[in-house]
Amino acid sequence: MRDRHLKYLFVLPALIVVASTAIWPLLQSFYLSFREWKLNRARESKALWDFEYDGWENITYLFDNYLQAVQDDLMWNAVQVTSIFTVASVILSVGMALGLALLLAPGGKFRLTVRTMLILPFAMSPALIGVSWRFMFQPDFGLFKAFFDVLFPPLADVDWLGDPILAMIALVGSDVWHFTPFLTLVFIGGLATVPKDAQEAATIDGATSWMVFRDVTLPSILPVLAVGIVLKSIFSLKMFDQVYMLTNGGPAYATQTLAHYIYFNGFKYYDMGYASAVSYMLVIPMFGLTWVYMKLVFLKR
Amino acid sequence: MASVKLENISKSWGNVTAVKNISLTIQDQEFLVLLGPSGCGKTTTMRMIAGLEEPSKGNIFIGEKRVNDELPKDRDVAMVFQNYGLYPHMSVYENIRYPLKVRKVPKSLHENLVRKTAQKVELEDLLNRRPRELSGGQRQRVALARAIVRAPTVFLMDEPLSNLDAKLRVNMRAELKHLQHELKITTIYVTHDQIEAMTLADRVAVMDHGIISQLDSPEKIYNDPANLFVAGFIGSPSMNLVKGELKEGIFKHSNFSVKVGLKECSEATLGVRPEDLELTNPEKAVCSGRVYSFELTGESTLVTLQFEEDRLTVRGHNKYRVEIDEIVGVNIFPEKCYIFETETQQRLRR
Amino acid sequence: MLSRPARKQINDFLQFFLILSAAVFIMIPIYWIISGAFKQQVDIFQLKLLFTPTLENFKIIFKSPYNLLDKLYNSTVVAFSTVVVAIPLATIAAYSFSRFRLTGERIMFVMILSTQFVPAVVIVLPFFILFRDLGILDTKLSLVLVNLSLIMPFAIWMIKGFIDGIPLDTEEAALVDGSNRIQVIKNVVLPMALPGVITAAIFCFILAWNEFLFAVIITTNKAVTMPVGLSMFHAEEGVLWHLISAAGIMIMLPMFVLATLIQKHFVQGMTMGAVR
Repeated sequence: MRDRHLKYLFVLPALIVVASTAIWPLLQSFYLSFREWKLNRARESKALWDFEYDGWENITYLFDNYLQAVQDDLMWNAVQVTSIFTVASVILSVGMALGLALLLAPGGKFRLTVRTMLILPFAMSPALIGVSWRFMFQPDFGLFKAFFDVLFPPLADVDWLGDPILAMIALVGSDVWHFTPFLTLVFIGGLATVPKDAQEAATIDGATSWMVFRDVTLPSILPVLAVGIVLKSIFSLKMFDQVYMLTNGGPAYATQTLAHYIYFNGFKYYDMGYASAVSYMLVIPMFGLTWVYMKLVFLKR
Repeated sequence: MASVKLENISKSWGNVTAVKNISLTIQDQEFLVLLGPSGCGKTTTMRMIAGLEEPSKGNIFIGEKRVNDELPKDRDVAMVFQNYGLYPHMSVYENIRYPLKVRKVPKSLHENLVRKTAQKVELEDLLNRRPRELSGGQRQRVALARAIVRAPTVFLMDEPLSNLDAKLRVNMRAELKHLQHELKITTIYVTHDQIEAMTLADRVAVMDHGIISQLDSPEKIYNDPANLFVAGFIGSPSMNLVKGELKEGIFKHSNFSVKVGLKECSEATLGVRPEDLELTNPEKAVCSGRVYSFELTGESTLVTLQFEEDRLTVRGHNKYRVEIDEIVGVNIFPEKCYIFETETQQRLRR
Repeated sequence: MLSRPARKQINDFLQFFLILSAAVFIMIPIYWIISGAFKQQVDIFQLKLLFTPTLENFKIIFKSPYNLLDKLYNSTVVAFSTVVVAIPLATIAAYSFSRFRLTGERIMFVMILSTQFVPAVVIVLPFFILFRDLGILDTKLSLVLVNLSLIMPFAIWMIKGFIDGIPLDTEEAALVDGSNRIQVIKNVVLPMALPGVITAAIFCFILAWNEFLFAVIITTNKAVTMPVGLSMFHAEEGVLWHLISAAGIMIMLPMFVLATLIQKHFVQGMTMGAVR
């Protein structure tokens, strides 16, 4: 049948676009990670290792960028910041979203109205979120100052973004604000698929509402929960926009995530080889998570 | 108008084989029913005739023409789908007209053809509705109208009545039968419902695990099953099947024996329909057993007796009454019994 | 021990209170931007709750030196072009993925999807160099090209999800009725998939509109988009929050409208068909 050829013709244009806009740069930056290229100094990239010059015994030159990264304290700082940020934002946003989803699941006019608000933060530009939270944390006339002036004066004069720990809290806060509503919508969708009759059966069998949640509801939304956790982890690991706009990595690198660190090396110091190498160190955990995500998605089919 | 011929057709996906080497000829104007439980390969067989699946092996002929490499649109078949497959964004009128439009029937004829067809299935008043505004039975009629509007050479119907409620199903069954008689178009009909098969078919092909178990007239399928599968599948309540041994022309069960006059066979299965058994006094009976359940169906009663391991269901008179756990006798008539070789599942004949 | 009705009442009130606080938590930053946009600079410094609203800020941001209209135009053109290229290609590809068995389908899919999970910086590095060599840095065209790496996989996956949900029966009926594959797509699949395709288009528009990392790297002047433009509201006395807020409204309000339009499918799109 002619469909045999047609079906490949259909996917071809899309595949070409994906291959040239996504796959090609991925391979290219992998290649660059083994070369030296300070963009502001040289027009072309240079090999880090040349067989005729260096010989086999110096093959490690090839990995110079990677070795440099491993020895860079700021890189490890970025790893640490990214890990702390990821763990904190995933736990907080997923936990709060699950709670809010359970509260909002029953329906009714009030709850449905609140549900329509949930879409707003996620439709907002992350860069704008970053800026507006910086505005809210402004020490002289920000929202938080106004808030604590009234409720808890000792906290009113705190310079949120000037303190390493508070800046991290601010960053996590803005991200939790961004993602919790979205995850809530995801979980409400999941809760809608929980079999009603199973919950009712459990109630008739004498289970308390906590037991119904633990024994019936939770197991049936576990796949959705898992997808939510994995997706949020991926987004957290990629965190850039708000870092750039809210804290710009500061104070003193306290909130510099890996994505921001790579950006800095690539586009402030113009060290393309090095930035590519660090990128690939971030790619590894990403592919791990992606693999888990795929498993979860394809498992359902 | 045309015959349809399947020649050694097989279909497999990976290592799953849905249809195994089927050969079958459907005569011109014949109404053939493919009957079987789900997963027996009946729908796959029909979809290969329609051209929606490609056979892995074998040839398909419609009329004289081999159609393996033809697209569905070039096979001149019409199909009614289980879920009707109506175009939700088109009105009833547009739905019925669509085959004419894509087949480039002159526009001037459309109106007339659509109206005539709609009349045939009593849809004249609903032509401007959308499918979602119709009841199940009405949707069914639209699907039917769409199939007959262009007088195809072959009709294919995939469980067309299974989504209707019981009463509507009986009505539509009669209408389908009438329509096919009137249009005289070769029809292949897939169902798992044996009543539909019995009432509609000229011939029934009973399918099981990808092969045709028996191909015969409905009467023969019922009265002369070729093997254990057909015997057990056809009839409601289904045929009683008990295992025993065949020695010197006598079928021996632990509780009774029946003289059937057949050659020896160490392991045999005896089949007898509930309506072919007779309830009687325990003393005069061939065998007797304890009543396990008793059901009224209206026109008759069903009595199920328990032996050690086996149960026998007997259809009784509609006035017959009995209590559970009573002992009741049963008469078995040798001429009404079917004997099968347990190992090969095939019927043993006199 | 409280009686059952009393316990229920307390429980109901507690739930109401929690939901209300969540709603307030969600709305406050949005309110903060909106109110800031209508304040005069002095009101911002004085943290006034009551103030005389002014439209002055909106007048300023569209004038020199900010010329926000240019950025608005850039953002619109870039997001629109990205969608116009991506959606048709994604739709036919998604149809094929949904309806046919393709050799290597799994691999193609994993390939397409995994590009989504790679840090965007990795993708923009080689592009930056390429565009520099071609001399098209800071153009809308270059931004559209990079955006496609983000939008295309999303669009394919999302539209495939919608097409998967369309019953196969109808298409097969059209095939048997005499359509070829192209007619089936034109007459049957497209009309039925249209709501899904439009949803995907709007969704991708929002993504492209909000995109920041690519834009901040690729554009410097001519092709600057709205989110990047936010950084320009500085003066000697510091950050011009009232202008940022006004520009913020211009970024977020259109997206709020679009997102509300496709509210029902937003989540599905974002999780790329995984949660249904």
